Amino acid sequence: MLRPLVLAWIELKRFGADRGALAFGIALPIALFALMYGVFGQGASFSATASIVDLDGGPVAAQLIDRVSAFDGLEVEMLTEADADEALDRSRILTAVFIPAGFSERLEAGEPASVLFKRRGSGGDTGQIVSQIVQGVAQDVAAEFEIREFVRSRLDGSGVPEAQIVATVGTLIERAAVVSPIGVEIRAVGEEENALDRLIPGVLTMFLMFAATISAASIVVERDTGTLERLLTTRLSVNQLYAGKFLASVGRAMVQALILLSLAFAVLRVGGAVAFAQVVVFSLLIAAAVSALGLVVAGLARTQEQASWGSVFLTMILTVFGGTFISVGETGVLGFLSRLTPNKYAIDAMGDILAGSGGLAEQGPEAAILGGIAVIGFVVARVAFRTA
Amino acid sequence: MVAGKLTTDRTHEDAAFLTAMGLSKSFDGAPVVDDVSFSIGRQEVFGLLGPNGAGKTTTIRMLSTVLAPDTGDVTIGGHSVLREADEVRRIIGVCPQELALYEELSARDNLVFFGRMAGLGRRQAKEAAAENLELVGLADRASDAVRKFSGGMKRRVNIAVALMSRPQLLFLDEPTVGVDPQSRNHIFETILRLRDEGMTVLYTTHYMEEADRLCDNIGVMDRGRLIALDTPVGLRSTIGDPEEVTLEQVFLNLTGRSLRD
Repeated sequence: MLRPLVLAWIELKRFGADRGALAFGIALPIALFALMYGVFGQGASFSATASIVDLDGGPVAAQLIDRVSAFDGLEVEMLTEADADEALDRSRILTAVFIPAGFSERLEAGEPASVLFKRRGSGGDTGQIVSQIVQGVAQDVAAEFEIREFVRSRLDGSGVPEAQIVATVGTLIERAAVVSPIGVEIRAVGEEENALDRLIPGVLTMFLMFAATISAASIVVERDTGTLERLLTTRLSVNQLYAGKFLASVGRAMVQALILLSLAFAVLRVGGAVAFAQVVVFSLLIAAAVSALGLVVAGLARTQEQASWGSVFLTMILTVFGGTFISVGETGVLGFLSRLTPNKYAIDAMGDILAGSGGLAEQGPEAAILGGIAVIGFVVARVAFRTA
Repeated sequence: MVAGKLTTDRTHEDAAFLTAMGLSKSFDGAPVVDDVSFSIGRQEVFGLLGPNGAGKTTTIRMLSTVLAPDTGDVTIGGHSVLREADEVRRIIGVCPQELALYEELSARDNLVFFGRMAGLGRRQAKEAAAENLELVGLADRASDAVRKFSGGMKRRVNIAVALMSRPQLLFLDEPTVGVDPQSRNHIFETILRLRDEGMTVLYTTHYMEEADRLCDNIGVMDRGRLIALDTPVGLRSTIGDPEEVTLEQVFLNLTGRSLRD
């Protein structure tokens, strides 16, 4: 009964000996992870650049620019008037803030002053947000300036030094900002949804499916090269042949799954060691289910083209209806179709594990369904197998 | 041309190691092998000749348990390929027409793997691999990936794989296609050496001089039927002086000169 294991081992050895396949097999999960990290790794907080033209050069303008720079997620790019106009013309930027000449002087003289927002079209979502931020900061600076001037006018002639007035008003404003008399409470309604909790299981499932179906198509390749026929003249039975191919497919898929999962857990910190172990167990179940489905394709296909297209079609259908990237819901036609795919059960179960709303013990039905698909798929593949 | 039920002129028929009786096989209703019967004695090199599409490879696939015949049966070493396929597989080795090897693996890994599949333990398989690589003259290239080998070397590895289980009956399906004279000669010597050590060989080829040189008996197939069966000398004498006539002349006389697939 060691023959399936020996067959699986030699398949993995062949995979390792094919440097192109090996490099691709390792590079692909890393590339996928890099993509996920690029999208989600930096956090979901807002970040943008505020393009500012300072035609004033005065102290209030400088204070305004400093405050905008200090805003979380907002970087300031200082431009000349000509550069800003050209950048707007060429749509390199969609919004620019112009602080006009005499801005500080007018405010210090107690006269109203304004900043100018130039935008291309609507200014874009980011531009509109930046405009709102700059407006808010400008209003804060103006209010502080007004308070300071008001206090100074009231204390005029009292002998209190100018520096002390400025320092005291500044301290009071800062304290008001830190200890606001109006509290704001944020209360979450429903469970917090982390996109990664769905995306990681979805990508992992799709990836396992690609790996498994490609691997299972090796039966067709072996038929073409003659090694399948040679194997069938040895003491290896067809059942053992399928068991070996199945184990090799699961093993190869798991190597790649472990690379992807290790990176996701280590870098994106989507869960702890227990969640990692539980997701690995589920990965094994999915790998078994999709490997069996891949073997069905390989059993039915007569040519490499048929196997390739069959695998692509199967993967696409299951990926789309399984809700790999977006939830297809529980009701309606899509909900019904999704329940026919192993992806749905895998994604739901792993999503719950990652979200901390259910451990392995709570995913018994999903595990049983995936195991069932693996067994039924294996039997169907075996029945579909033909020598020629 | 020899007609009717064809048998070799074997003194002791019960000494036959392989006996095929009434083998037939059709694909999509088209007969590919039609009522073929013959026998091969122990330690005999039996040549199966025929033009392309004659049914040689299908016959070998039935003899080697890969395909079940529609009718008829084969006994090898006293075991039926239909009812005792596993017993038959213990005593046969098959060298298919294709280079049925894993090219990304080394010659040794190929041999050890197929040895394990043939039922050898790990140590036995390693020992047999070393022995067979020595036999085919590739011991010094054991660790090299097969894809780096020349066509002739790959053919020799292909044969070495078939020898891993030390079979009593070796099927060689066109083992010398595309190899240089040196490799071909090495293959001939290997076959004769194996025969001398007690192995029975069923050999197919398109090279008539090979069959003439190697085979004790030759069967000629055409359009799925066995149309002649005799010793090389016996076949040559059917159309003239066996010293003057070549086997190729006999072959063309039997199968005609029209082009095949």
